[in-house]
Amino acid sequence: MSDSREILTLAVEIGDVLLRSGGEIYRVEDTILLILNAFGIDDYDVYVLSNGIFASANEDKEDACSIIRHVPLGDVHLGKIAAINQLSREICAHECDVNEAWKRLDACKALPFQKPLVQKICCGVGCACFCSIFGGRTLDAFFALLLGFFLQSLRLGQQKRGASNFFIDIIGSAFLTASSLVLLNIGLPVLQDKIVIGSIVPLLPGIALTTSIRDLFNGDYLSGAIHLLDALLTAMCIAIGVGTVMILYRNLPGGVLLP
Amino acid sequence: MILQFLLAMIATSSFAVLFCVPKDQFLFSSLTGALGWISYLIFCRLGCGVVTASLLATFFLTIISRFFAALCKNPVTLYLVTGIFTLVPGAGIYYASYYFIMDNMASFAEKGTETFKIAGAITIGIIFGFSIPQKLFSCRFPAKPENKN
Repeated sequence: MSDSREILTLAVEIGDVLLRSGGEIYRVEDTILLILNAFGIDDYDVYVLSNGIFASANEDKEDACSIIRHVPLGDVHLGKIAAINQLSREICAHECDVNEAWKRLDACKALPFQKPLVQKICCGVGCACFCSIFGGRTLDAFFALLLGFFLQSLRLGQQKRGASNFFIDIIGSAFLTASSLVLLNIGLPVLQDKIVIGSIVPLLPGIALTTSIRDLFNGDYLSGAIHLLDALLTAMCIAIGVGTVMILYRNLPGGVLLP
Repeated sequence: MILQFLLAMIATSSFAVLFCVPKDQFLFSSLTGALGWISYLIFCRLGCGVVTASLLATFFLTIISRFFAALCKNPVTLYLVTGIFTLVPGAGIYYASYYFIMDNMASFAEKGTETFKIAGAITIGIIFGFSIPQKLFSCRFPAKPENKN
């Protein structure tokens, strides 16, 4: 049987990837517990927060070990969650020993994000469709497509510079509002509000909201509160971005009057 | 209605790409989003208010995503997270801040409360959806022997 320290490291590492890619708390906890169980460790304690993992195994034996892991909120990657789910299922079925599991875990970690161009195009197409289902016309959807494309470029650029998410949200929603106002002002027959509503969708805290509800529902109040706060702050940042541009616009002389 | 369905499907699947959903699950996650949106429209047309429609649509969406999750043996997050984007009240946030800036306090209060109500309705919808025992979903699709836990 392998060393308990190695098994614990493996389990926590797997939990780390899961948590980083946006898994719920109970899923992370369950996965770690199941893996420890599958490798024959039955004296353990695991506590998972939305940005940290604390775990210990075999506390009162000779090979006692514990791990504390800080996991910053990362980018959502649902593919990694699905892959890890499969991996933990195989570990639990004892189809996979420790070395094999490490290899599989490295493969899961190496799953790439989409290429920037693909991300931009998809963001644009998504924005266009949202604009159109929320009541925009074809012309509005077309501009939402362009704005979505540039929005994703802006976000990727800022992320590379290491800007905080809140800053990106404010800048992003301000950019959207400003460009839609420009479109309105050069006299195009566009529904300015529909364009903004459609292209604002990628900034919305849908994931944070869903995760926080599920965490709260599962009794992980602290983690749920962290995500809920994240969702509320994001919504507020969007409102600030939109609002600032509106105020500036209102004080500009000679603008087209808003409806 | 069909156009709306298709558009919602494309919208959800392009977001699924952004969140790196595995390629073989695109169809299911986009279906989830589209069904959620269509059910929202139907409930709206049946005369439910926006808030009630959000609640019912989220409930329905959660059930569908759990169904797909059981069917494909994948985490439910895959479908729920991408599908929920059609229901999150982005328009509410926009209009609320717009009316606030325009000093139209009556409309601001109205839109603001409505946004909060929708967010609450989504919460309750998800909670209701998850209160249904897992057995109902998994018993229909007995675990394949090679995937047994």
